[in-house]
Amino acid sequence: MRAMFKQSPIGRTFFTAVLALGSLCASVSHAAVPGISGGNSGPNNGPVFNLQAAEMYSNQPDGRAVYSWGYGCTSAPAGFLPGGMPGNCPTAQMPGPTLIVHEGDTVTVNLTNSLPGVAGNTSILFPGFQVVTSGGDPGGLTQEAPNATKCPGTTCNTVTYTFTATSPGTYAYYSGTQGAVQVEMGLYGAVVVLPTNPPATCTPVGGDAVRNAHSEKDLRLSSAAYDVAGTCYDREYLNQLAEMDLAIHTAVEDQVTADKLNGTSSCQDPAGCLQVATEPYVATYYLINGRSFPDDVDPAYASQYPNQPYNANPHAHPGELLLLRVIGQGRMQHPFHEHGNHMRVIARDGQPLLTQNGKLAGPLQFTTTSTPGQSVDSIFQWTGKGLNWDAFGHGYAGDQSQCVPDANGYYTLASNPPAPAAAINYYEWCGDHNKALEKYPGGQVASGGPMTLPDPNTVVNGAWYSGTPYLGADAAARSVGSTPLPPYGTVANSPATEAGYAYMWHSHNEREITTANVFPGGMMSMLLVDPRSYAIDESN
Amino acid sequence: MISVSRFVRLLPVVGLLLAAAGAEAQTFHVQCPSTTTTHPDGGGIKCQQVSGGDGYASMADGHSIYLFGFGPLSGLKDLYNGQPATEPNTVFNTSLGSDGAGSPSSLVGMPNGSFTFNGAIGLTNDLSVEPWAAGTTYLKGQYVRTSGLSAGIYIAAQDGTSSSAKGANGPTPNSLVDGTVTWAYQGGLLDGYVQPRPIMDVGVMNANAPAPLIAIDEDDELFLTLTNVGMIMRPDLFEQHTIHFHGYPNAASFYDGVPDASVAISIGASFSYYYLAPDAGTYFWHCHISPPEHLQMGMVGQLYVRPRQNRVSSGTDLYAAVAQWETAPAPKANPTSPSDWATYEPYRKRCGTDILCSAPLPHGGDNSVKGGQGLNAGGARVAGYAYNDGDGSTWFSVEYPIQMMGFDPNFHFVGMTFNAEDFITMKDKYFLLNGRSYPDTVGGHACTDGDTLPACAGHAVNDVVPGPMETQAADGTSHASQPLPTVINIPAGGRALLRLSNLSVSEYHTLATMGVPMRVVGWHARLLRDLDGNDMTYLTNSITIGGGESCDVILDAAGLTAGNKFYLYTPALDELSNDAENFGGMMTEVNVCTNVDPVSKACS
Repeated sequence: MRAMFKQSPIGRTFFTAVLALGSLCASVSHAAVPGISGGNSGPNNGPVFNLQAAEMYSNQPDGRAVYSWGYGCTSAPAGFLPGGMPGNCPTAQMPGPTLIVHEGDTVTVNLTNSLPGVAGNTSILFPGFQVVTSGGDPGGLTQEAPNATKCPGTTCNTVTYTFTATSPGTYAYYSGTQGAVQVEMGLYGAVVVLPTNPPATCTPVGGDAVRNAHSEKDLRLSSAAYDVAGTCYDREYLNQLAEMDLAIHTAVEDQVTADKLNGTSSCQDPAGCLQVATEPYVATYYLINGRSFPDDVDPAYASQYPNQPYNANPHAHPGELLLLRVIGQGRMQHPFHEHGNHMRVIARDGQPLLTQNGKLAGPLQFTTTSTPGQSVDSIFQWTGKGLNWDAFGHGYAGDQSQCVPDANGYYTLASNPPAPAAAINYYEWCGDHNKALEKYPGGQVASGGPMTLPDPNTVVNGAWYSGTPYLGADAAARSVGSTPLPPYGTVANSPATEAGYAYMWHSHNEREITTANVFPGGMMSMLLVDPRSYAIDESN
Repeated sequence: MISVSRFVRLLPVVGLLLAAAGAEAQTFHVQCPSTTTTHPDGGGIKCQQVSGGDGYASMADGHSIYLFGFGPLSGLKDLYNGQPATEPNTVFNTSLGSDGAGSPSSLVGMPNGSFTFNGAIGLTNDLSVEPWAAGTTYLKGQYVRTSGLSAGIYIAAQDGTSSSAKGANGPTPNSLVDGTVTWAYQGGLLDGYVQPRPIMDVGVMNANAPAPLIAIDEDDELFLTLTNVGMIMRPDLFEQHTIHFHGYPNAASFYDGVPDASVAISIGASFSYYYLAPDAGTYFWHCHISPPEHLQMGMVGQLYVRPRQNRVSSGTDLYAAVAQWETAPAPKANPTSPSDWATYEPYRKRCGTDILCSAPLPHGGDNSVKGGQGLNAGGARVAGYAYNDGDGSTWFSVEYPIQMMGFDPNFHFVGMTFNAEDFITMKDKYFLLNGRSYPDTVGGHACTDGDTLPACAGHAVNDVVPGPMETQAADGTSHASQPLPTVINIPAGGRALLRLSNLSVSEYHTLATMGVPMRVVGWHARLLRDLDGNDMTYLTNSITIGGGESCDVILDAAGLTAGNKFYLYTPALDELSNDAENFGGMMTEVNVCTNVDPVSKACS
């Protein structure tokens, strides 16, 4: 924390700017898995994606605009997904556009090389698929899109990749040319293949009835990750983990700039003409979806990050099944720790991990190791079961709340009588209903519990702390007592509306939760477990 | 959020303004009730007190390294002997010395072998004024009666006025009636009130690496008090500290220790954390303030939860004991009483259709293995199980918590000397198991005259044995610094459970075995078993985990004879070094013994 005081004046000014933005945006910033769809104009009525590799700058929270390369759209894509969420696809972005297709689709990707002349050729690898190429130049790993310097005045600088999306899941795509430079510069993205035969019944938490009762949109791309029972989910998020060495980016920018000053580039080498050392590697930025914390908890498509459209700010209600898709996109492994509960790994690299009987066989874990090029899909759920105290603060005099257990002990539509779809304690673990936390509460919650809370003068409150230990605006208002604990009224997790439980999801190689040597930053985000009374709006 | 941190630093100012509004200061305290709703008989209530502060540790090359760290403020004797410092409430709630404060000077620094106190440091009688003079008005809440048969702590359910006639029938529940108010008896006079001096005497400059060991039993309630004693070598800092129970299931963010999502305790005050122990496994804990800094500086520790299967009586079928939770009558709707809540216990413990089920029933069904400690069917000594396996497959004879850590001496030096720290170039140069590198992992303790450490039995003064290490602090006094050796003693034919975790902030680490096979039975505090109950454990010669990961490994000494010595070491060979010394590093020894005491771990 101290290091921040040693920042440049530019950095300090930027902190203030971040604070201002946070006030405007933090409470409405959620995610889903935004991406682009490809229509059906391709072979076998399959989707077509017209992508290019081009220059861009990524905005980092230390105030620096880092010269980068990204994949982007040459023209408006056929559509944006999920429906109900706006989208855009700039000429270059980091990560590249998330390509959302269906199992069995014949996928066509036309890649245009719009990189500067000294960059040489470029390409895309689609690991996990059988790719057929047409056009372009032969490269080491795949057919490459030549640099425009090789065919001045013509359009030789394209290549076409075609593959069948044989099985659902989460996949990486990235440059297969000069990878130590081009992937480092930002040429990577994700393919999400949706299952064509998800389980017929995928309503573990009440589904549309409960969603509609709280006026929430359904922004899932599908109802299940795979054609397999046990992979159903209620919300989904995609984390692409990567890192950047500023020295490489600066060196590339210097040489690109110098080359441009010479007029038309004379570089004809398919491998480009850059002389950039990629070792020894010293990472300065650690990124989730191209952004560093706290930028990653700003909304998707936020205008201040024109070339980093995707964010990382998962939300879920108690009991909801959260599908987290993690892809390692950089050169390093990262142990990504998910606070709050365990996750069940359901697949790696698009391959479901199943028993002979079709049940889930993946391990439970609280830290997901991201490995370069690998994807890991897992399902997270938070219920509060086992806290041994009522997180909603029930049990006070005059309390009319209900908690009728379903077959698993939760208050749901499956309870008898069923929970109202609009119940603010929907999916409460009934085993702790009315069970007090506090011995002598300052406000209106049950008393006689084991704990005395600390004197508010002796503690420092966090920005995501709603002000009381309880979940939900109703409980927060009742429990706060006559002396609200500062900062009762946090912008990041308002006790009056959200009052959720915040959990840090971050790299546990802790030096990676820094931005250019400053803590906090880097590969860190916040999960909010929100009470059912708070409508999560991921469409921004 | 960067902006948030600046905001947070302003908050103590806000807090001071509020103090004028008259909030009652608690500052230092401990919390450890004698009974709770969940444990009305008091069994199953475990308590621990730790300090957050700074100190020094000794590296194997002789270098003294500066730490931010946690130190013990309870269970000091047990920790000295390499045991968890978590105590039952009956042990924790004892006071040192007749005046309740102990003899402060005797507590400074390293406990010696004659130190026998395991209770809470500083805990003393709460002698606040009793309210029972006739006509005194009082508010609902807690009061103390200091004398007579009814001495103890009472809670008034409502406001009232003392009458002249009060019941005084001894400290039984609801025995004291004062006019219309019935006072609930809450226990003796040790109600969590502490004197600050012994806490500062013990806690200052007493950082341990790793932090005091926490071990609890499944279904326990743990009351864990963190007292921030400040960092004496860094008077410029007003750092808060927190405790994050890493990997703990269904955490409440209030007790999750992330300062952004909860509260963090300031210097000169205490915060008590409350956890049920819902699921067995190997977890770990650490401070979550500025993690790249506070974790690198040493604020990391170990935590494990023993399975309820350990409590299955001998002769009782293990499978039946675990499977019973799956078939229970429907629990009571809208529970309001302990008997209502008890109807949910089977539902809390069973798998049902839970996608996060911690230990599915074994696919093979009932294999008739019986519970209890002692000799198993194969003649090996069973001290416990790693998980509720239902088939006895995770039995072990002795268990060892082993935390992989790394220290970057440059960062620690900078951290001590008021300079700007560099995260980008952080590079560990000490590669540690439980805060020590080889050969300290198998020694570290020079026996003293009359030393009661079991490992010193039969040894002369100054003989080096596996035991607690001490390090001289800046004021010249020796303080306990690294309580845990890592020498692994296994009885021939038995098994050692290694509870491995990695809390390095910059490296993945690999541990490999020579001679004794490794079976990985747990991953991230969960039994390796798929949702059909199939065994997913595996044999290996090495295990690699990153910062923030844990696993459970069983070393099996079946067929090995006593007297053999093997090694557990990192095959990342550059980490077999102690800074500039091309020797040592992340390595320890595995001894096959005739017998191993499962508590003292002594080899015989």
